[in-house]
Amino acid sequence: MPEISYSVLGVFETPDALMHAIPKVRTSKLGTVEAYTPYAIHGIEEALGLRRSPLGGMVLVMGILGAITALGFQYWISAIDYPIITGGKGAGSWEAFIPIMFEVTVLFATFTAGLGMLHLLNRLPFFGHPVLSSKSIKGITRDRYILALEAEDEGFDSVAASKALREAGATEIEVLPAPDRSPFLTSDYILRTLGGIFAACVVAGLAMYFATKWFPLLKPMANMQDQPRLNAQKASAFFKDGHGMQQPVVGTVARGYLPTATGTQEEAASLVNPLPRTREVFATGRKVYTNRCEVCHGAVGNGVGSLTAAYGAKPANLQAQQFRDYPDGKIYWAIVNGKNSMPSHAPYLSEQERWSVVHYVRALQRAQNAKDEDLKVATR
Amino acid sequence: MKLDAATSAGDIPEGLIEPSLYVGKVTPGSLDDQVLAFPETKPPRQWYFALAITLTAALIGVISIGYTFYLGIGAWGNTSPVFWAFDIINFVFWVGIGHAGTLISAILFLFRKRWRNAIARFAEAMTIFAVICAVIFPLIHVGRPWLAYWLFPYPNQRALWTNFRSPLLWDVFAVNTYFSVSAMFWYLGLIPDIASMRDRTTSKLRKIIYTVLAMGWRGAATHWQHYEKAYLLLAGLATGLVLSVHSVVSFDFATSVVPGWHMTIFPPYFVAGAIFAGFAMVVMVLVVVRETMQLKNLITMRHLDVMNKVILAMSCIMGYSYMMEGFTAWYSMNEYLHHAFMNIITGTYGWAGWVTISCNILIPQILWFKKARASYFWMILVAVGVTIGMWFERFVIIVISLHQDYLPSAWRIYKPTMVDFGVLLGTFGIFFTLVLLFARVLPVIATTEVKAILPDAQPSHHGDDHHA
Repeated sequence: MPEISYSVLGVFETPDALMHAIPKVRTSKLGTVEAYTPYAIHGIEEALGLRRSPLGGMVLVMGILGAITALGFQYWISAIDYPIITGGKGAGSWEAFIPIMFEVTVLFATFTAGLGMLHLLNRLPFFGHPVLSSKSIKGITRDRYILALEAEDEGFDSVAASKALREAGATEIEVLPAPDRSPFLTSDYILRTLGGIFAACVVAGLAMYFATKWFPLLKPMANMQDQPRLNAQKASAFFKDGHGMQQPVVGTVARGYLPTATGTQEEAASLVNPLPRTREVFATGRKVYTNRCEVCHGAVGNGVGSLTAAYGAKPANLQAQQFRDYPDGKIYWAIVNGKNSMPSHAPYLSEQERWSVVHYVRALQRAQNAKDEDLKVATR
Repeated sequence: MKLDAATSAGDIPEGLIEPSLYVGKVTPGSLDDQVLAFPETKPPRQWYFALAITLTAALIGVISIGYTFYLGIGAWGNTSPVFWAFDIINFVFWVGIGHAGTLISAILFLFRKRWRNAIARFAEAMTIFAVICAVIFPLIHVGRPWLAYWLFPYPNQRALWTNFRSPLLWDVFAVNTYFSVSAMFWYLGLIPDIASMRDRTTSKLRKIIYTVLAMGWRGAATHWQHYEKAYLLLAGLATGLVLSVHSVVSFDFATSVVPGWHMTIFPPYFVAGAIFAGFAMVVMVLVVVRETMQLKNLITMRHLDVMNKVILAMSCIMGYSYMMEGFTAWYSMNEYLHHAFMNIITGTYGWAGWVTISCNILIPQILWFKKARASYFWMILVAVGVTIGMWFERFVIIVISLHQDYLPSAWRIYKPTMVDFGVLLGTFGIFFTLVLLFARVLPVIATTEVKAILPDAQPSHHGDDHHA
């Protein structure tokens, strides 16, 4: 019994000789017929009886998917998640999405064609094919045309295959031994790989440690990054109170923000909240509270906000009995005029928003001091 | 010139016989020995000399960009109302240069123009290098380059998205797609050639590098079948890109309301200009390549002749476009447009307008003469002229239109600074450095594609007996 071999290669000098040999070798039915050539030979796929490449269909599907993805992505962003009106066009006007749809279609299709061909259809990269370590490979990528009979099972007869190829006109014959079937991932190999990765990590870690220790952090774009300007919340020696962010001049009235509650706090006690207690009003109140009140008064109004610790300020605990007994009007007055360290919020909040936040403060107070009846209402 | 075996036979009238695509005898083996052995030889002294020059230019560019980063955009001449100047001119210029490569590799492939095979590789490489040079400019022009990733639509803490109705964002997608597709196209084409280099090299290090890069390509018929299909599909896809990328770039201008920019002719006019400038650059580089790399038998005078014809055709399209600009200015009876156009030929920057017109329209007309198309002197003169002319064309479009628009009180003369010129010089340095490196380390001619069009490369009975 001959030694087990993987395939037999027959070398041909011209493409014509190769093409003439293909039908003869195919009729021998000794194994799978494959050709190896330096460039694509026209008509060889029909001669070898290969099926049409499915790449066109794959690319078409992925291209269409690319177009749909791009359209959906742009529509969701521009019309739903972040609607902006540009040039007087409606948020959902799709005509402007066409250029990007086209580009994404091409992108998807290209990567499908390229990677699909290489990886899905040709199974590359693959460095273990026996032909790569054959003597004939030098000719394959240069100027020789090779016809191979490849083993389909254990019963491959390399002697008969060699004979068939020689009869078909091959000038040289090379028998390739069966590839080594021993497992690729031997324990030795795994250990060495892991050791290598570990060593690389150690080296990289040490390099980073010393690089950051020995070389100070360089700021190559210093002038573009640190510009002579005042950021919000930053201190400034330019102003008397040392604040970079100045309050509006006393008595400033923003457009649409009418001055209300101009008297004393006691006078404001009689004001009545004009807003109904609806879901929308509470939502507005909650938003305003989160944006403007929470840093000091805390998420539940207990006076423990995130700023308290940093500055040692003592904002009012809105849950205290004193404030729970306050009429709406007095809270409203404090929002409009400010109290103690608290600045006026009149320039930032509309009348609606101020009253909404009053409602919300009431809701917070009730939530923190809930009675049994409230629980019944809440769980009903 | 020797005639192709395939075309010399039969009774074709002499004038219609397609001249050979190469000179002398070329066989697959001799082709490999000529082209693929090149990276294994030691570079000549002139190569180091050229590299020193291009690296110096690149270094000047890096210093200029570093200074821009240090000081800010104020290092440039950009100032109100000319907020777009050298940066965008250079961006459009370099993206345009790339278009010749894509045209040669994609459109001419679809048209089965076999002469493209010998020059496609180099042209594709130039495409990639040109796009690399181009993307530098938007990145440094954003002012805060460390935030350049804001150009991409990604979910972020600020809950902001990019504006998909802005042509600048279309540009981001177009240029990125263009680069990815060009790189993919180029690399796929390289794989069989790298496999050839892998199998012929004797150096151990090269063998390892080429083995990895060739991905185990073994030239199987089953692989070639998919490969050819993929190449055809990529050519079709890249064809769309040749037409779309510079159209999208032109939208940056055309969708605005600045007089001189707001014109429907811009997309085709930009695409033609891009191919025009790109071919000029390819001719310039190929003349040097064929002379210094002893490739006269593969890159023949016929190749240069055909490319010069393309340049001439594009020059005529450019002439038509310039005339249409003038016609539109006159026929629209729009005084702003009229003023913008008159600025091009008589304004402060009128000289730039005339440089554009002479370099792009007048000088290339010499290529009507066969002798000029066969003369290095004339073709280099035209190619250099076109490169200068096309740069100035973008200068004319951008600076002249911007420096005097609707509001006369805002009019101002724009003056570039040395830093502007430094960055421009730097991109030329980067481009030619990459070209020089490429010429030394990778096959400059797609040997696989040229092998496929040699005589007797394809079976003679092709098309007869295997369609049963």
